[in-house]
Amino acid sequence: MTDLGPALWLSLRIALVATVVAGVVAIPLAFVLARRQFPGKSLAEGLILMPMVLPPTVLGYVLLMAFGAKGWFSSILGGYSIVFRFEGAVLAAAIVALPMLYIPAKAGFASVERELEDIARLFGANRLQTFWHVSVPLARRGLISGLVLAFARALGEFGATVMVFGWQPRRLTLPISIYADYEQGNLSHATGAVIALSALSLGLIMLYNASSAGRQA
Amino acid sequence: MTRLIRLLLFLLVMADPASAESFRVGAAISLRDALGEIAERYQASSGDSIEFVFASSGQIAAQITSGSSIDLFISSANKQVDALIDANLADRTTRRVIAANRIVLIVPVDAANPPGSIAALAGDSVQRLAIGEPRTVPAGEYAAQVLASLKLTDAVADKLVYGKNVRQVLSYVERGEVSAGIVYATDARQSGDKVRVVDRADDGMHDPVVYPSVVVSASRHSDAARKFQIYLAESPQARAVLTKKGFAVSDGAEPKAADR
Repeated sequence: MTDLGPALWLSLRIALVATVVAGVVAIPLAFVLARRQFPGKSLAEGLILMPMVLPPTVLGYVLLMAFGAKGWFSSILGGYSIVFRFEGAVLAAAIVALPMLYIPAKAGFASVERELEDIARLFGANRLQTFWHVSVPLARRGLISGLVLAFARALGEFGATVMVFGWQPRRLTLPISIYADYEQGNLSHATGAVIALSALSLGLIMLYNASSAGRQA
Repeated sequence: MTRLIRLLLFLLVMADPASAESFRVGAAISLRDALGEIAERYQASSGDSIEFVFASSGQIAAQITSGSSIDLFISSANKQVDALIDANLADRTTRRVIAANRIVLIVPVDAANPPGSIAALAGDSVQRLAIGEPRTVPAGEYAAQVLASLKLTDAVADKLVYGKNVRQVLSYVERGEVSAGIVYATDARQSGDKVRVVDRADDGMHDPVVYPSVVVSASRHSDAARKFQIYLAESPQARAVLTKKGFAVSDGAEPKAADR
């Protein structure tokens, strides 16, 4: 139970960075895809949403094949590997968190009246200004609740993370610490981590619910 | 008349020579390749069929303890077998060591700046060191003993990556994800040209690496399991395969070829 602090801190840091990464990718994508049709759109959306249903081991496998020391991109990256690294854990968490943010964000942008954006353009705002000063504020319910949900998902990410980040006794994420205790036949040691993760997950999902509810809340 | 019929029935049953049995062997994963070869030959000649469960010795012992139907257990350390015997889950009279092994330090074959010895593991060129998880993986326990004997435990603590079994450790080194790994000499040999052995632990640095085997008490195929166990320990064919793979067999025969 004494190792709870470092594991909690590591998990929080990974989840935070992963949420930011997911946000940078998902929010612009959600904005564009809420507005435009193009050939191949459903395939594109399918790819974005795929991590929701993909078995975590498949994602882990792909990440290892792509970004491992002998992976597809390793030579371009100068021999760099994400395995056992913070960036690897962030990447795995960001990918699974992305659809969790994308869906509410897209709904949020879709609910913004186009006329308001058109008016802003008429007044001379460029696309970026319109996006930032009109669309985003009006979509904020979807964006905030999406970010909360993404963070919750990133915090609980285990399957792909354990394949990429591994079992490093001095650097355990909270879910991996539970797995380590289980592997060592020491489940009772995991109680603290289980309680912490349960409480955090419950709190976050309640926050998501509250932040996504309309005036009906 | 009934006596004659009974006698005939008796002879009929007893006359069935190879009443082929099917049983399960739980073995340390470092034995996987050797046992695979040995079992192929054994199954062909005896008619029995063997199902293997390969994992870390700790995991198999846990399976046996929770009631899994394993008939013969071959561990890579004394601890797991003796724990089962003490818990009356394994038959003490069937305890038999079938092989021995050595502990080596390996690096990826294309490593740029590898450590030259176990002692060099504390150096900065070693970013990550993979060993088996010491509590449930015997190879990890031996590795921890080796590190402790050279007073390296604290120096390498932050670099450690645990493998769930020794083959996962081997895989990390083969894939170049770690700077070095501690595995059995037989694993390094099995991996061939993907890893390079840079050092071997002296016998005094760790408990003897032996493979004790034992028949599980709850086994319903104990005779068949015992027969296979004796074949493993005594038959020239089995010993030849073990020796070929780099194990030492129990009469003290040395493994073939150097580990370096």
